[in-house]
Amino acid sequence: MKFIEKTNLTSLLAQLDAQYRLLVPVDYHGLTQFAPYSQVDSGVSQLYLDGNVTVSPKTVYLPQSEAMYKFSAQGKKLAIEEMPPLDRMQVLFGVRHCDTKAIQCLDKVFLDDTFADPQYKDKRDKTIVFSLACNNPKATCFCESMGIDRAHAEQSVADVQVYDLGERYGFEAVSDKGQACLNALNGMTDGEAKLPEQKPQSISFDAQGLPEKLKEMFDHPIWDEYAFKCLNCGTCSYICPTCHCFDINNKMRGTTGLKLRTWDSCMFGEYTQMAGGHQPRPGKKERVRNRFLHKLQYFNEKHNMSLCVGCGRCIAKCPVNMDITKFIRQVIAE
Amino acid sequence: MPNTFAEIQNEMRNIAKELLESGEATMVIGWEKGALPYQSTPVMIRSAEDVDKLIWDEYCQQNLSTYLIDYIYTDEKVAIFAKGCDTRAYNRLIQDNRIKAEKSIVIGVPCLGMKNAREAAKLPEGAEVPMANACKECRYPNPVTFDRKIGEDVTPWCTERDFSDVEAIEALSADEKYAFWQSQYTKCIRCYACRNICPACNCTSCIFDQSASGWCSKDVNASENQFYGVTRAFHVAGRCIECGQCEMVCPSEVPIMLMNKKFIKDIDSLFGAHEAGIDIDTPAPLSHFSVSDPEEFM
Amino acid sequence: MKASANDVKRLNNLIPKVGVVREILDETPDVKTFRISTPEGEKPFTPMPGQLGMYSMPAVGEAMFSVTSQGPDYIDMAIKKTGVLTEALHAMEVGQEVGIRGPYGNGFPIEKLKGRDITFVAGGIGLAPVRSLILYCLEHRADFGKINIIYGGRSKDDLCFKKDLFENWANLEDANVYVTIDRPQEGWDGHVGMVPDYLREISPNPEVAVVCGPPIMIKFALVALRELGFKDEDIITTLELRMKCGIGKCGRCNIGSNYVCLDGPVFTQAQLNEMPNEY
Repeated sequence: MKFIEKTNLTSLLAQLDAQYRLLVPVDYHGLTQFAPYSQVDSGVSQLYLDGNVTVSPKTVYLPQSEAMYKFSAQGKKLAIEEMPPLDRMQVLFGVRHCDTKAIQCLDKVFLDDTFADPQYKDKRDKTIVFSLACNNPKATCFCESMGIDRAHAEQSVADVQVYDLGERYGFEAVSDKGQACLNALNGMTDGEAKLPEQKPQSISFDAQGLPEKLKEMFDHPIWDEYAFKCLNCGTCSYICPTCHCFDINNKMRGTTGLKLRTWDSCMFGEYTQMAGGHQPRPGKKERVRNRFLHKLQYFNEKHNMSLCVGCGRCIAKCPVNMDITKFIRQVIAE
Repeated sequence: MPNTFAEIQNEMRNIAKELLESGEATMVIGWEKGALPYQSTPVMIRSAEDVDKLIWDEYCQQNLSTYLIDYIYTDEKVAIFAKGCDTRAYNRLIQDNRIKAEKSIVIGVPCLGMKNAREAAKLPEGAEVPMANACKECRYPNPVTFDRKIGEDVTPWCTERDFSDVEAIEALSADEKYAFWQSQYTKCIRCYACRNICPACNCTSCIFDQSASGWCSKDVNASENQFYGVTRAFHVAGRCIECGQCEMVCPSEVPIMLMNKKFIKDIDSLFGAHEAGIDIDTPAPLSHFSVSDPEEFM
Repeated sequence: MKASANDVKRLNNLIPKVGVVREILDETPDVKTFRISTPEGEKPFTPMPGQLGMYSMPAVGEAMFSVTSQGPDYIDMAIKKTGVLTEALHAMEVGQEVGIRGPYGNGFPIEKLKGRDITFVAGGIGLAPVRSLILYCLEHRADFGKINIIYGGRSKDDLCFKKDLFENWANLEDANVYVTIDRPQEGWDGHVGMVPDYLREISPNPEVAVVCGPPIMIKFALVALRELGFKDEDIITTLELRMKCGIGKCGRCNIGSNYVCLDGPVFTQAQLNEMPNEY
């Protein structure tokens, strides 16, 4: 393991920033998110390492709005031009383990064998992930119950594993990409360290058999009970590290335009509204059911893993405190 | 007269039980305890056996009147608990013809001001939690309309709004104002939580749900986000009951009430003092025409 | 069928290539068929019967349609005017360049149909996806058993593909075409009545049925088919939901864990029985 004193973190980040496009967790006027290190450097934002950020690192791979291609449509003529790939490697520093698992979920969708998504892949290939283990979970954290390894980040996603060791940070490469990156950094010491103690999470349950149970519950009254208070806003979907549904739409300037891929949410009516007027999911019940089942059943059926990683963001931020852990516990107890 | 939180909570359960058992209400919407100590969340009670889920504490901020909209075309008779601001919302919804009085039972609850749940989440456990921003300036803690009421009226702790925050922004130069709102609306993720929780935002369809119309792009950037924020502020102008829920639910902490208060201040100076939703007879200033309205633009 | 250079998959499946409208055929007052090639005069892509194509006027929008037929250097899509995009498509003239990407979806299970009698049941624009399979079966006639085509429209003006119905297919000796309209109409001396009732009247051999049309027609046709002895695994239908990506990523067209764009649009009734009733 390699070490730096916590007081030297800034110099380490500055080194990374010099070599890569560095993205770090920040607090920007009350919103915590990943942002270029230059924001911290210039004082616009503060580095935020006290807990997980509100807006998950999915923004790095699947930005909330992303241009897919340019086009010009003049008279009968149409021209289409693809967007350029990333021009440099980037480092994503401080990704929590729940979020590394979430990125693995996104990989299942966007890096599948038949229709891998080149824009997503480009960013995945060109990003070095420094994952940061959590010693002190928040009251809303339940990643352990969703099968996340709190000591080790998802191996297919993390390149460097970071531990908070009190006075210093410990760094361990978990991929060749991570090793090369670490080797090029100055001012680190080598040695051995005991992994930090991790405090238990206050929300804890056994989610075994959940997808199978839910499969029989499509018409269960539980959906009315939960959905009634939902506002059908998009907070849960947008802050969720695994929610990946997107819309494709335009931004026009005269005869030229950009085709954008933007986040979308199954909570919105427009999401499934058909041109002829048909609406397969007309209300709160259908939408809440779809979101929960996608997370806890459908994704399992398709990819053999849960689409909820226990980050707890929705518990903290849902305006009406729709509590997915309460739901899971209730289903298990059924 | 029940006056402590525990006494009022007990009375809430009694009334809910009575309404459900007598069949006077088919459902009662109140609050139950959420995942965390500083979260209280709406709960629907359909059976007298479940009334013990109901709670009354310092985090019952969410307005329940808007849920009545969901049941307007059903056979349900819905009872809700309502604080002062919630009854103002109720009046506004009646005025907007979005709910029907005969389909609802309003159980008024005087309120001593709710605590700031967002701050509570950031403070260490056991720390003193300040009052929610909107509650600090509340002049109507007592229900302005009700079918039944629990507890004694409280004495309002605020008699006049504090516009110092609005004035501080007004004092900025155009560039400074621009920079301020730019930094705030860069954060907006367009989840529409502010709109969806707002009792004034009760339109059956909203232009921000019609992306094909081209009015507002789904591109999330400061400019489009401000178009959303400003349009919404205009639309709720004169109808905002200052419950502050928009700001409280914003995951990005955009100071939405600051803009709403600016509109309130301007409306008061242009059309005379107006308090939205304190009765159902006074029309919202921007919803009707009066010959004395200012006409500088003509 | 010769694959053209254009069949090579684009690296990014979400980016359309340019297609040119070569011909526009009025089918009904609100349905037109558009024949599309690439600007080089080649076929944009080669779909199997029942597969889908994403059609766009980038400045307006993009939507999924079934490919109703194809030739060596073109594909045809029959499109009903229902919304903003389809209005714009209907306003197009020959020579207009559009975005086109595909093919998407599973298509009809050809192997499963071989050697069997097939009853096609369609209503309105529902003939568009079914037609691709009818044409395939007629082209490979020896591979299939008896072919019955039962088709209905609200009125005679609403019948799509009239040339096929009344000329090309009507004159075939090894296929039966039955056309009906909902209500009597001047100038119509054919059958009058609803498709499901007509289906009962014709009472085809219960081997395989391919059904497509408005939901209400499908609902009652299903009842009739079951009465006639068709098994749910032999009743094949094609679904339609709002789609954006076409490749199972954008999320919205799911029915349970199936995506209509990827795992469909063709499902058997037996498969649908296992899926949540949410479409």
